[in-house]
Amino acid sequence: MIFAEKARRAGSVVMALGLSLTALPRAAFAQAAEAAAEATAAATEAAGNAAAKAGSYVPMKPVPGIGQPIDGAYGFQEQFSPNGHYALWMHNAILMPIITIISLFVLGLLMWVAYRYRTAKNPVASRTSHNTLIEVIWTLVPVLILVGIAIPSISLLAKQYKPAPENALTIKATGNQWFWTYGYPDNGGFEVISNMLPDEEAVKRGEPAKLGVDNRLVLPVGEPIRLQTTGADVIHSFAVPSLWFKLDAVPGRINEKVLFIEKPGVYYGQCSELCGARHGYMPIAIEALPRDKFNAWVLAQGGELDHQPKPAAAPAAAAAPAAAATEAATAEAAATESAAPAA
Amino acid sequence: MHAAPAELSQRNRRVGLYALLAALAMLGLGYASVPLYRLFCQVTGFQGTTQRVSAAQAASVKVAAATMSIRFDGNTDRDLPWEFKPQQVTQTVRLGERNLAIFTAKNLSNRPIVGRASYNVSPDDAGKFFNKVQCFCFTEQTLEPGQEVRMPVIYFVDPSITKDEDGKDIRQITLSYTFHEDKDASADLAAKAKVASKGLDRAGNAR
Amino acid sequence: MATTAETFQAHGDAHDHAHDHDHKPAFFARWFMSTNHKDIGTLYLIFAIFAGIIGGAVSGLMRLELEQPGIQYLTLWATWFDGKPAEMNTALHLWNVLITAHGLIMVFFMVMPAIIGGFGNWFVPIMIGAPDMAFPRMNNISFWLTVAGFCSLMFSAFVPGDTTGLGAGIGWTAYAPLSTYGSSGPAVDFAIFSLHLAGAGSIMGAINFITTILNMRAPGMTLHKMPLFVWSVLVTAFLLLLALPVLAAAITMLITDRNFGTTFFDASGGGDPVLYQHLFWFFGHPEVYIMILPGFGIISQIISTFSKKPVFGYLGMAYAMVAIGVVGFIVWAHHMYTTGLSVNTKMYFTAATMVIAVPTGIKIFSWIATMWGGSLSFKAPMVWAIGFIFLFTVGGVTGVVLSNGGIDDNLQDTYYVVAHFHYVLSLGAVTSLFAGFYYWFPKMSGKMYSELLAHIHFWVFFVGVNLIFFPMHFLGAQGMPRRYPDYPAAYEHWNHVATDGYKIMAVSVLIFFINIAYAFIAGKKAEDNYWGEGATTLEWTLSSPPPFHQFETLPVIEDAHHH
Repeated sequence: MIFAEKARRAGSVVMALGLSLTALPRAAFAQAAEAAAEATAAATEAAGNAAAKAGSYVPMKPVPGIGQPIDGAYGFQEQFSPNGHYALWMHNAILMPIITIISLFVLGLLMWVAYRYRTAKNPVASRTSHNTLIEVIWTLVPVLILVGIAIPSISLLAKQYKPAPENALTIKATGNQWFWTYGYPDNGGFEVISNMLPDEEAVKRGEPAKLGVDNRLVLPVGEPIRLQTTGADVIHSFAVPSLWFKLDAVPGRINEKVLFIEKPGVYYGQCSELCGARHGYMPIAIEALPRDKFNAWVLAQGGELDHQPKPAAAPAAAAAPAAAATEAATAEAAATESAAPAA
Repeated sequence: MHAAPAELSQRNRRVGLYALLAALAMLGLGYASVPLYRLFCQVTGFQGTTQRVSAAQAASVKVAAATMSIRFDGNTDRDLPWEFKPQQVTQTVRLGERNLAIFTAKNLSNRPIVGRASYNVSPDDAGKFFNKVQCFCFTEQTLEPGQEVRMPVIYFVDPSITKDEDGKDIRQITLSYTFHEDKDASADLAAKAKVASKGLDRAGNAR
Repeated sequence: MATTAETFQAHGDAHDHAHDHDHKPAFFARWFMSTNHKDIGTLYLIFAIFAGIIGGAVSGLMRLELEQPGIQYLTLWATWFDGKPAEMNTALHLWNVLITAHGLIMVFFMVMPAIIGGFGNWFVPIMIGAPDMAFPRMNNISFWLTVAGFCSLMFSAFVPGDTTGLGAGIGWTAYAPLSTYGSSGPAVDFAIFSLHLAGAGSIMGAINFITTILNMRAPGMTLHKMPLFVWSVLVTAFLLLLALPVLAAAITMLITDRNFGTTFFDASGGGDPVLYQHLFWFFGHPEVYIMILPGFGIISQIISTFSKKPVFGYLGMAYAMVAIGVVGFIVWAHHMYTTGLSVNTKMYFTAATMVIAVPTGIKIFSWIATMWGGSLSFKAPMVWAIGFIFLFTVGGVTGVVLSNGGIDDNLQDTYYVVAHFHYVLSLGAVTSLFAGFYYWFPKMSGKMYSELLAHIHFWVFFVGVNLIFFPMHFLGAQGMPRRYPDYPAAYEHWNHVATDGYKIMAVSVLIFFINIAYAFIAGKKAEDNYWGEGATTLEWTLSSPPPFHQFETLPVIEDAHHH
């Protein structure tokens, strides 16, 4: 189809654009960053060859119906995070029954009243327009129901906001028009640029069209991950339905939330905040791997595994010769630095 | 309720005027919300807004035994040709103790650029406990073409975070900056440079 | 109702009939310089129907494109529209223009003009026994500002919105920075300016309604005797008065950010894009009540009329609306659950949002209790009103689901939200509009429509809209994001069903227009009170259509026997 061809062409333009954009201001992070950037760029350029270059890493095949939508389904996607299970339970066991019963109750009442008090059956209308008792009941009963909903709801929020442990792996997802970049600051700071695959390519790789990407966000399973989001241009939103996860990527600020994936697998999501023309074409694909395979993948990307927090003293000491820098602010800081208690 | 037409129209004008004033007040509130929101964020740490304290205030804080991990994050706006990153990924610091962290910024373009950093900490609830004594984000930063500078931030975490209902579980705070170009200031700079270059020899480009 | 036919002293009525001073101005003066509340109401209704056709046609284009995965028509339409072969991004930009236009037209130029400008102008003065609105000339300005706003929005579609194509593709919410440095073209300025115009018109309208209702009630018409429709418009007018200026401030700041170098919402100058969302939703949440509250009022009138009973729990009903209006101002951030709010903020907004369910529940149960013990006749307006109660309940309960901040993490910005707000607006507010139209059309035009066609219209519409919007719950739960022109194949089934539903709904709209045409061509002349003993508010004491000037001698409302 002609549209598909255009899509592919436009896709490659965006890819190239993404490369040049990210190559300029933020490709490098640490010493190894240049190598990492090269590796990442190469991986993006020839996604097909990525597996070969990455050594042992072979992109996982997604399982139909897992981590992706199912055609004609009624409910939520199957969940693969503890908070997802809890939220799904809350929806299915509490909210859904309550709202179904209320809707059917109202429908039943309407039908009964329509039948019972039709003119033919009840030609003379009563003049009743007050009944304090019933008015109190239909005020208080909804209040009680809502309190009943609020208890698990507040508890769900508390779970979702439980801060990540200190040593949690930190990942930064940056939304760009219209692709995602994933930074691994704890692993040497390399970045992965993730673009949507053209439809034919996705199908060829056994991935759902519009969800498959060239380079996935690879994450370890079974541990809390501190996932941070930010936007490079406009607001985007990082969303993965099967992990009950959605967090806006706002330019100029960082947001964070804990992600915990229970099982290895491929989990798809899509950008969920209107971000311009190709808003619909910047999917998210997470590949969750056991820790050892994740480590192997990190090394294959040119990353490093040591993400122990570095002692504060080292950078402070190294900063002393920084006074050579001409910025007034730096000079000021150097002054305060000597005043500050030596770390 | 029986009102003569003249009286009625006078009453109408009065009520209409009150309503108009109410609308204008809301309009004013809409604009006032910009400084009010900023103030609210600064006071409550809402949206992960950090606190700014003087060196004297910082000196009066007692250092506690407990520690906190601090993570540093640097971003640049899409349109800003700078490289900006933290020199350290994380630091482990004692609560209440002043610490120095360094970010480096390099102008990759061939023109002087004025940058300004926006910032926040996450989780949001850490905002009211994260104090900056000195920060490159307090002022605008100008980088000449190719220039690289080290930008310091001196900060401490309020020890009372361990007693706060929402703060006590926080084990790591991320301090994030995003540099943006101040286009007006950059343009001013370029205009000045043009004027200056007319009379002056441009030899100062040795860096 | 508080004002019943038995207790109404009909000298105003008799006077109006006896006096043949019903000379109307000539055509141009009457329709373009109108200061008559009924004429202005008519203008608003015609305008709303016109805008509704355009907004509805836009949604038809959207449903057509979404019938199958892949881009079907957008490239073709973009080629027609831009007059040159369209790039993929231009086609995709056109999609964003369509969703923006649909949202803005339906909210600002269809529902609001129809329900407040149309029915409000027509019946609020009559129901309180006033000869006209308090500021008739300002009323005229309100209307023409709305029209000017619509023209500005239409014009925006023909100027560049972005480097990629024509028109503003920023969504009706116009979030910064997509609407500031994210969209460079002048189309966005025109779209925003259209909101300024429509907003100014609505604020003037609100001032007019507040003054009219507070000052111009007929002798004996105390606040607690006003028909509930008047109450609903009064509450709505206050919401407009307090919410719209905040929108005006926010979008003015967008304009200055775009054109004059300010950085209110731009992080590069110390601004915060999230602040725009706070301001927008501080307006946006009351806005949804602005659209639905007058509908509540209409439904109350209709249920009471066709049950031949006064409204059950009149005071509870009136103050439930006041409560909804007040609480509506303190729940806005539930539209922003995923922007990165702190846990306490999210808990507060979860709890506050749930509170709204209580007054809403009071209204639903009071309507049913009004019918309970009544003598129900199922004329077209009544069928529409009962349909409204059920559809609004469905839309309301999904609102309770969405109010949970933790659940919303998965549903935010998905089709579940689209389903929810179309159930309360498209199936709620629009259903109440049709109910009101069938209730009052003969009063306004003097012609009876076909009862049969009105019933067929209802059932076809009911089936159609449910087919469109109910499957959207499933799509949203499965994770389909909104504002997508294209989707993975796994969303095809329900999208296909929704598009089929649209076609059915379109047929029902056709039936509606046939019915109007029938009424004007062959409709029977409407009597003064064609609904009989149940219809007790003041408009039923007047002829159909009412005289050009009514109540030149004010009616006197005697103390009613309720309360």
